Amino acid sequence: MTTQLPPGMHLETVDDKIMTLNVGPQHPGSGHMRLIIKVDGDYIVSCDPDPGYVHRGEEKMAEYRNYIQNIPHLERPVIHDSSNILYPYCLGVEELLGIEVPERAKYIRVIAAELNRCIYILYWLAIYGIFLGHSTMFMWPAGDRELFIDLLEAMSGARVTHAYLVPGGVRNDLPSNFEERCLRQVEYFEKRLKEYEAVFYQNPLLKARTEGSGILSRTDAIRLGTTGSVLRASGVDFDVRKKEPYDVYENLDFQTIVMKEGDSYARSRVPYLEMFESCRIIKDALRKMPKSGSVRTKLKPNPKGGNDEVYRRVESGRGAIGYYIVSNNRPEPYRVKISVGSFRNLICMPYLLKGEKLGNMPAVYWGLNYWPVEADR
Amino acid sequence: MSNVIGIIRALNSGVKHLAIKRFTLRYPEQKLKFVGDGFQFNPETGVGIAGLRGRHILFHEHCTGCQLCSVACEGIAEAISMVKIHETWKHNKKAIMPQIDYGKCVFCGLCVDACPFYALYMTNDYELSSFTKSALIYTPAQLAIKPNIAQDVEIKIDDRGASHG
Ligand code: SF4
Ligand code: SF4
Repeated sequence: MTTQLPPGMHLETVDDKIMTLNVGPQHPGSGHMRLIIKVDGDYIVSCDPDPGYVHRGEEKMAEYRNYIQNIPHLERPVIHDSSNILYPYCLGVEELLGIEVPERAKYIRVIAAELNRCIYILYWLAIYGIFLGHSTMFMWPAGDRELFIDLLEAMSGARVTHAYLVPGGVRNDLPSNFEERCLRQVEYFEKRLKEYEAVFYQNPLLKARTEGSGILSRTDAIRLGTTGSVLRASGVDFDVRKKEPYDVYENLDFQTIVMKEGDSYARSRVPYLEMFESCRIIKDALRKMPKSGSVRTKLKPNPKGGNDEVYRRVESGRGAIGYYIVSNNRPEPYRVKISVGSFRNLICMPYLLKGEKLGNMPAVYWGLNYWPVEADR
Repeated sequence: MSNVIGIIRALNSGVKHLAIKRFTLRYPEQKLKFVGDGFQFNPETGVGIAGLRGRHILFHEHCTGCQLCSVACEGIAEAISMVKIHETWKHNKKAIMPQIDYGKCVFCGLCVDACPFYALYMTNDYELSSFTKSALIYTPAQLAIKPNIAQDVEIKIDDRGASHG
């Protein structure tokens, strides 16, 4: 008997040896997503990621709100990295409206973005630890994250979803003695970060599970369009902060972390090493920042953009985030398209998991720096 | 062999922490200290003053009922609605003031930026739990009260590590 199937659907032939495993749709540390994995014994035959469970329509919502009212909801996709996801939006709107940002505000924005990157990476690392059953690596980063959350709370007034960056600068000036406090906590954190090395990165148990698993070659990384730490772990020297410096990144002293191996271990290590660079940037920015001055250029109430379009991107904790904004002489943007690193990195999951052991799946999955909520927007 | 050494090293660096004070903040007993008195807006410089963005405080004598805070919140959370107040407030000709629903508010503070008469600020009070949804709606009279909370613990950093007091 043949039944008529709707177009686009097909019946699968079932192989008795192959079992289909639904991983999800649950909340594996960051947001709902599902992996449809076919296993032959312990080995993965194919993997089909199924994103879209946390789609919130951010892009559509942005068309009904004016340029300022868009701020709180645009940072919802990644509440742990909210300054970085807002950064390209602010840069883009500034270009559309022709706003000049004061020098001090540029440095404050860089500091906020780097603190946020550390918060994100520490959260990511904590989940990485617990995915591999390493509960010390869950507790330590989750505790040390508090140092940065407190700093950003002093700056912006909120622990997550800071709504701190606005087109034209930042919402408020730094509190008094912030520089001193920031420097003290960042220096302490650098010392702390070195302890992670022995407990996690030089730990033979971690190495045994991640070294040589899920290898992404340099050409594949470029061909599949990955970004961020995944790309850099495959030996490509690409960082938006270096290649297309925005705000004051060109004046600051830091390096791009590149590793050649392209395996899960390299992908777990690159963000860790990037935190050292983030600390360097913060310390450098605190030194070079003008000690006083304006931090926000006042906008007209309900500013209107001309008939124009703009694309700006920045480097976030998960790779390049780009905003394409179209305006048409109205206080609301005509279209806002967000292109995020998570979604790009998800593409290589089927390639990496093929032939891998099922037990290695969490390490490969989380090493991709994939954040379901951000990818679905 | 090198594996054994690596595991011993890892254990060793964890064991060291047995002798170090815990970082944890014992929350309901201890409360973290914040900068300032909450998020406010500086009329002179035109930017905010850093502080925690907690519950709002409404200065009745400044509020003119202009509704700009409510308009600002419309596209964000629709948390502010304007309610009738007693006619005796002379400077408030429309006799309306904001009422905030904390079941909806996301504490972005953009209403504070929008208020042209500096009548609406935010305070350090973040403990707004209640058993009913209706108790989360704060009337203008409730918003006028300055919260009185003891928040005094800070992160202490010394050579042996960081801890909360
Ligand atoms: S803080 Fe934000 S969400 Fe809350 S009332 Fe003000 S504008 Fe609305
Ligand atoms: S609080 Fe401010 S913005 Fe809101 S009605 Fe009163 S004066 Fe107007």
